[in-house]
Amino acid sequence: MSVASVTAPALTATHAAVATADLPIKISIHNLGFYYGENKALKDISVSLYENKVTAFIGPSGCGKSTLLRTLNRMYDLYPNQRAEGEVLLDGKNILSPAQDVNLLRARIGMVFQKPTPFPMTIYENIAFGIRLYEPLSRVAMDERVEQSLRRAALWDEVKDKLGSNGLSLSGGQQQRLCIARTVAVKPEVILLDEPCSALDPISTAKIEELIDELKDDYTIAIVTHNMQQAARVSDFTAFMYLGELVEFDSTRQMFTAPRDRRAQDYITGRFG
Amino acid sequence: MALYDRRRRRNATAMVLSLAATAFGLGWLVLILFTLFYEGLSGLSLSVFTEMTPPPGGAGGLLNPIVGSLIMTAIAVAIGTPIGILAGTYMAEYGRHDKLTHVVRFINDILLSAPSIVIGLFVYEVMVAPMGHFSGIAGSMALAVIVIPVVVRTTEDMLTLVPDSLREAAASIGLPRAHMILRIAYRAASAGMVTGVLLAIARISGETAPLLFTALNNQFWSVDLNYPMPSLPVVIFQFALSPYKDWQKLAWTGALLITLAVLTLSITARILAAKRKTS
Repeated sequence: MSVASVTAPALTATHAAVATADLPIKISIHNLGFYYGENKALKDISVSLYENKVTAFIGPSGCGKSTLLRTLNRMYDLYPNQRAEGEVLLDGKNILSPAQDVNLLRARIGMVFQKPTPFPMTIYENIAFGIRLYEPLSRVAMDERVEQSLRRAALWDEVKDKLGSNGLSLSGGQQQRLCIARTVAVKPEVILLDEPCSALDPISTAKIEELIDELKDDYTIAIVTHNMQQAARVSDFTAFMYLGELVEFDSTRQMFTAPRDRRAQDYITGRFG
Repeated sequence: MALYDRRRRRNATAMVLSLAATAFGLGWLVLILFTLFYEGLSGLSLSVFTEMTPPPGGAGGLLNPIVGSLIMTAIAVAIGTPIGILAGTYMAEYGRHDKLTHVVRFINDILLSAPSIVIGLFVYEVMVAPMGHFSGIAGSMALAVIVIPVVVRTTEDMLTLVPDSLREAAASIGLPRAHMILRIAYRAASAGMVTGVLLAIARISGETAPLLFTALNNQFWSVDLNYPMPSLPVVIFQFALSPYKDWQKLAWTGALLITLAVLTLSITARILAAKRKTS
C-alpha cells in the first residue's frame, strides 16, 4: 500500500506526459491542498485539464472530487473556514490569488450541480438573467442568445412554447438541462459538472451525456461522477482520487483497460467504493 | 381481549379530554367574537367613518382615531420594515457565522417579547420628555420599535430557508452577492417576508400601552405629527372606561373594526404562507 502511494505519482507524471505531450493545457493544478477548518481534504494535488477535452474525476465518496471541482471556481469562498493552498493556473494565471475577481472567474468557469437548481423565475429569465450582468444585449439579440443557449442544451424544442412559465415547473431532467443552458449562456471557457446526472433517470442521463460530447467542441469540461460507465463513455481523461489524494491520472482508455495502481483497479472493477 | 378493551377505553378517555380542552379554549374565543359582533355591529354606521369623536352625549364617529391609527401605523411600518429587512439580511446572508449575528439575534429575541409598555416608556424618555409634549411622531416611533424585531426575525428565518444550493448556483454564473440577494434570495423568500410585515402590522394595530405614553390622544381632527394624535386603541381604552353609554357603544364599534382589520391581515398572511409552501 505505502509503496504504491509513493511510486504512483511519479509514474503518473511521466506516463501522462507521454500521452498528452502536444495537447494545450487549459487549467493546470500544482500542489493543491484544501482545508475544511483543520481538516485537510485535498493533499498535494497536481493535474492538468486539457483544452476541449473532458476530464472525469472518479473515486469513492469523500475522496475530494467535488472539493477539487469547487476549488476551480473558488466556490469555497462563500464559506468561512475553507481555504486552499498551492496553485491553480487558468491560462497561466493563478486564480487562487487574492487579486483574482471571483465573479469574473465564475463567469469564465461555469458549474452545474448535482441537484438541478433553477432560479425562481421564468425559463427565459433563468437564461437571460446571467447574460444581462455581463453583456448589455438588445431585446432581439437577447432572444437569439436565449434560443441558442437552449438549443445548445437540447432543451429548445421542449420549452419554446412556454418560455414564460416558471423554471421550477419543468421535470428534473429538463431543469438540469436548463441549468446547463444557463451556464452555457454566459459563454464560459470551462464547465464543471458535479455529478450532473445523479438525480436523473436513464433517458435524461443519456441526453446529458450526448450533450457533454457536443459541448467539448467549445469548452473544456471537468466532470465528477460516481458512475464508472459514465466516466468511460464521456471522458477523454480520467483521474482517480482516494482519501484526498490524486492516485492516478491517465487517458480514459488506459485507465479503464489497464490501471496501474491497485486501488484504482479495485475501484473500477467494483471491488470497493 | 381484555387488554384491547382497556386500550380502547383509554383512547376514548384521552380523546374526550383533549376535545373538551379544545372546546373550552375555543369557547371563550367564540364568546368574545360573538359579544364583539353583537355589541359592535349595532353601532356600525356610515357616521362612524365620517364624523369625529363626540363629546359625551353627542353624536359622532371614529374618523379621527381611524385616520390617526392609519398614519402612525404607516409611518411605523415605513421606518421599521427597511431596518428590519436590512438587519435580517445581514444576519442571514453576510454575517451568518459572525459573533455579531448571535448577539443581534439574542437582543432581537428579547425585544420581540418585551412588554410594549416598556417600549412606550422608552420612547417617552427619549422623545416625549425632550420635546416637552406628546406627539404623533413619538407614537409612530414606539410602534416602529415593535415592528423591527418582528421583521428582523421573519426576514432572517425566511432567508435561512432559501437553500445554499441556490446561492451557489447564482454564484456559479458570476453573480455578485448583492445581485444574488436582491434578485434570487429575496424572490425565493418574498412570500414569507411579506407575511412577516403583515404580522407586524397586525401586532401594532392593537397596541395601546406604547401609544398612551407617546401619541396620547386627541378629541379633534389632527394630522399634524407634532401634536398629540388620536388612535383607535387609545380611544377604545378611554371610551370603554367612561360612564357614558354612547361612548361605550363607540368603543365596541372601534374594537370590532380593529378585530376585522387584524383578521383580514392574518388571513392574507396565511394565504401567502400557504402559497409559499406549494410553489
